[in-house]
Amino acid sequence: MSVPVFPSVFPTFEQVFQGFAGQIKMLREMAPPPTLPVDERVARATDTLIEETNADEAVWLESCIHCGQCTNACHFFVATGEAKYAPMRKMDLYRRVYQREISPLRWWHRLVTRPVELNDFEEAQELVYDACSECGRCTMVCPMGIDIASLVHHMRSAMVAAELVPPELNALRMEQMHRGTVFGSSPEALREMADKVRDQEGIEIPIDKAQADVMVLSSAVDLVANGNGLLATAKVMNHLGIDWTICSDAFESANFGLLSGDMALWKQQVEPIVAAAQRIQAKTLIIAECGHAYPALRWNPMLQGGELPFEMMYISEFLGRQAREGRLRLKPLQGKVTYHDPCKTGRRGGAFEEPRAVLKAMDADFVELPANREYNWCCGGGAGIFLLERATRLRDESFKIKMQEVEQTGAEGVVVSCASCRLNFESGRFKNHWNKRVDSLVELVADHLIEHQPTRGEGAVA
Amino acid sequence: MSLLDFARGPVIHASLIILVAGLLFRLVGVLILTRGADLSRPRDAFGNFKGYRTVFSRAWPADEFRTTTRYQTVLAYLFHLGTFGVVFLIVPHIEFIASLTGLSWPGVPNFVGVALGTIALVSLIALIFRRLSRPEVYNSNIGDYVTWVIVALPLLTGLMAFAHVGLRYETMLALHIMSAALLFAYFPFSKLMHAFWFVFSRAQSGITYAHKGVRI
Repeated sequence: MSVPVFPSVFPTFEQVFQGFAGQIKMLREMAPPPTLPVDERVARATDTLIEETNADEAVWLESCIHCGQCTNACHFFVATGEAKYAPMRKMDLYRRVYQREISPLRWWHRLVTRPVELNDFEEAQELVYDACSECGRCTMVCPMGIDIASLVHHMRSAMVAAELVPPELNALRMEQMHRGTVFGSSPEALREMADKVRDQEGIEIPIDKAQADVMVLSSAVDLVANGNGLLATAKVMNHLGIDWTICSDAFESANFGLLSGDMALWKQQVEPIVAAAQRIQAKTLIIAECGHAYPALRWNPMLQGGELPFEMMYISEFLGRQAREGRLRLKPLQGKVTYHDPCKTGRRGGAFEEPRAVLKAMDADFVELPANREYNWCCGGGAGIFLLERATRLRDESFKIKMQEVEQTGAEGVVVSCASCRLNFESGRFKNHWNKRVDSLVELVADHLIEHQPTRGEGAVA
Repeated sequence: MSLLDFARGPVIHASLIILVAGLLFRLVGVLILTRGADLSRPRDAFGNFKGYRTVFSRAWPADEFRTTTRYQTVLAYLFHLGTFGVVFLIVPHIEFIASLTGLSWPGVPNFVGVALGTIALVSLIALIFRRLSRPEVYNSNIGDYVTWVIVALPLLTGLMAFAHVGLRYETMLALHIMSAALLFAYFPFSKLMHAFWFVFSRAQSGITYAHKGVRI
């Protein structure tokens, strides 16, 4: 594979990853301690689950027969063999609350089960944060088709109410709640990065245009780190001659409301993005390579996507469509590569073919992973798990499944299109002295653009 | 009233009333809950409808999971088919159903009935061995074991009555009918309800994923 041409002023992703690891340690100390009385925390958590339980959740909770099939589909169980990581266990506490509070047989369950206490939630914390990336692979094998990942997400909401969000996620949640951004990022940091990119690379990043066809989101991981994702996105957008902008009041893809389960914060983050896109009359909103931002925006059931005047898509979808329509002409990619479907854009998002179309446009020697598309194994770092220090062993062990999968393909490198996956791959590569390259899809595209002056009529509209 | 008459009369009738009332109570109690709307724009306009195929497609595991699910799937199929066969196809059961509903159909020869019952019982035993030998996979609770016993009893007593093994035939038959009554009465309050939930559960997930253009 080709080597990135980015100059050394921008640190490599490996350096970013190492800096990031240091920052995560600090987060643990910044997390606020619980403030409410114990009974209140339990009551709020229980109420949250009651409120979020519709017929779908009730049927799923009723349906499990303990057949055990889900266990071997879960990377955390397969990697450790420990009973507690069986996917079905991750919904046990939710089921108990359901049985005692909502189920038609609640009078019976109240007789035979003990009341839910704070330590039940404390015990479940590891299962629903550290040991579930909400990747949904267990649903692919469950004979009942139970969507365990969505039940785990409700559990995360209950954990927010119980003040049991793990410290790293909680610190970032608080930062985003009070400052709107994370990792110390800000509109100023965005402008500084744009200036830096213009001065050093000669690439223009249009910030706060009053009107644009395409609104692009960025990510704090990128902004406060190496900026390569933003630089690459800008190169591609400008190359395609697209009328685009980044809004300084709504540029952040990352949503720690969704990751922690705090749906009030989710809303607080999403609303300015939707408002900004409408204000600038965007036709398309492009979500940066930040996996969970896709379900936070494109697929969130509470966001009336059908009625918005713009279309939302992930950057890999955008690039794939451009490639299919022949607008994105790319130089050949050297070396054999495989592609890792991030859970949130793949199995739980459906953006399977577009990133493959981009690789095809690069004439890549492309090989599928043994388990791909809806059967892809999670890398182990999704849904905020990459940030949790306590989850290090789970993450590292489950990453070995991914390594074996990649080894089987004989590929020299893996292409990913999600910052969390990429950080986790980088961590795994570093710890295991793994000799594979890990590349971001958008950065690869930026590296392989065939430079030319856009001719009349060639300027693409997304 | 003999034990057999007692079993054939009040016991089985009471159990059937509990079965029907319990089924309605539990199904309606869950299905009347509100359904949350998914307001996001579907990947393609009629895509959600494709989700219903999961109800059928999930009847067999995907190739991806072939090795890990083979034992459980094959035995579960043998158990379910054997049980359905023996419940609905042997002559005494058809006569009982006819006495309740007036509906009847031809039965299978006795040796087929015995074979079906044996297949069901043997596969059920094989499944419990698996459950006991791999606790980390099955995450079993007391309900799993109680259900196993309540399902196994009618199979066991039925085969024993047919083969004239154990107690006097009339007593064995009465025990068989009472064990079936226990199963009927227990059914709506147990995980046996999956016989109904599977349709809803699979359809819900099928639609949730089809909405995003993903086939599960």
